[in-house]
Amino acid sequence: MTLAIVLAAVAAVLLLFLVLTFNRLVRLRNETKTGWANIDVQLRRRFDLVPNLVETVKAYADHERETFDSVTQARAAAQRASGPAAAAQADTILGGALNRLLAVSEAYPQLRASENFLALQQELADIEDKLAAARRYYNQTVYRYNTVLQSFPAVIVARALRFHEREFFETDTRDAPAVSLAQP
Amino acid sequence: MTLQEQIRANRWRTLWLLLLFAVLVGVLGAIVGFAFDLSLLIVVAVVGFVYAIFSWLGAGGIVASVTGAKPADRAEYPRLYHVVETVAIAAGLPQPPPVYVIDDDAPNAFAAGRSPAKAYVAVTTGLLNMMSERELEGVIAHELSHVRNRDVRLMTLVAVLVGVVALISDLLLRFAFWGGGKRGGGTAGLIALAIGIAALVIAPVAAILIQLAVSRRREYLADSSAAEITGDGEGLALALRKLQLNTTETKHASRAVAHLYIESPLNQASGVRSSMRSLFETHPPLEARIAALEEAGGFHLAPV
Repeated sequence: MTLAIVLAAVAAVLLLFLVLTFNRLVRLRNETKTGWANIDVQLRRRFDLVPNLVETVKAYADHERETFDSVTQARAAAQRASGPAAAAQADTILGGALNRLLAVSEAYPQLRASENFLALQQELADIEDKLAAARRYYNQTVYRYNTVLQSFPAVIVARALRFHEREFFETDTRDAPAVSLAQP
Repeated sequence: MTLQEQIRANRWRTLWLLLLFAVLVGVLGAIVGFAFDLSLLIVVAVVGFVYAIFSWLGAGGIVASVTGAKPADRAEYPRLYHVVETVAIAAGLPQPPPVYVIDDDAPNAFAAGRSPAKAYVAVTTGLLNMMSERELEGVIAHELSHVRNRDVRLMTLVAVLVGVVALISDLLLRFAFWGGGKRGGGTAGLIALAIGIAALVIAPVAAILIQLAVSRRREYLADSSAAEITGDGEGLALALRKLQLNTTETKHASRAVAHLYIESPLNQASGVRSSMRSLFETHPPLEARIAALEEAGGFHLAPV
């Protein structure tokens, strides 16, 4: 009789632990998903902006074909990228290409004075800031989620319940191949 | 302490203070049972409970009207909107909160709203004119941290509890003076009654002191959360230093909403604060807040 009560109590405690761990992991995983959605919004804003920017610069600086191509290619590659790590890398390349496009436009005073160009440039800066903010939040949520996932005793149930670590969205400038794309 | 350690320590300190509050209410209940009638305990509990529910439901929604905040025009304040939206993303809020502007030369800001979905922030024109973008980011991050940490709800709850303690003490004191108390005869009974009355006088003051200690703890927490959100504690520290050097008094601020501001809108005169007076402040001294940010961030501002 006593043994049955003890066993029942142990089972109840285990079940409670399982439920609490599961709910905690779900909450943390949803936070990383929200964080990723925030990044995605800004990435999309930038994808939508790029063609406009290229067209605007083209109108004043038609013969900078090489720069336009590298931006367009980088945008296409970034749109294809799947998963945070790949997206971050493709995004770094796109950022580098856009920077070169802006550097090129420095040589055209009429372009720089264009209202359309100024508005696009401002929106690009706005996107950059928000992307940096979204990245910081996302990486914090991933850090929290992964930490719980790797800690004992959650690590025991996490695998069985199909929770997997998430990738960081890291733009590691050290290995960024942006330079190699500059001279294709 | 690192930022994460500061955040954890502040959460624990809040929890301890709330426990202290529970102990206070418990002691008050024990006094009622000991010095007065047990049936009175039930009456008091019911009155306190009903009062708590009504003031909880009634609180909120009053702040904007009290402080004279008006919705900010996006075309007129593009920089403010940019900062608020960026910080809201970094804080992981579901959507950027509505932005209000208060026409006041004194630099200050506050956030309100019981949940992140219903939050809004307000800044004074004085703050906008004075702060660089980096500093403004720090201030907004501090305000949005209050929202994310559910401080509005917490402080409303604590205010309701203070009200309950005050109400119960007041009721029992009147009852005592009308000749209540079950131990009418003997010195022991008189002493018990005296202790009971003394406790009833002290209880409301103790409640307010706990409330203020919670408020100060949440300020430290909002500061370290803000540094985590922006990744730039120095920006906030610089903003706090500017607030420290400025002594313009905030208009339209009342004691009831003081805990919502970035710095206390009351008694802004800087100078020597005695330890006794600091017990009655809603905010820790700016110098101490800057020091905490410096410690976590590993930087040093130039001394004043």
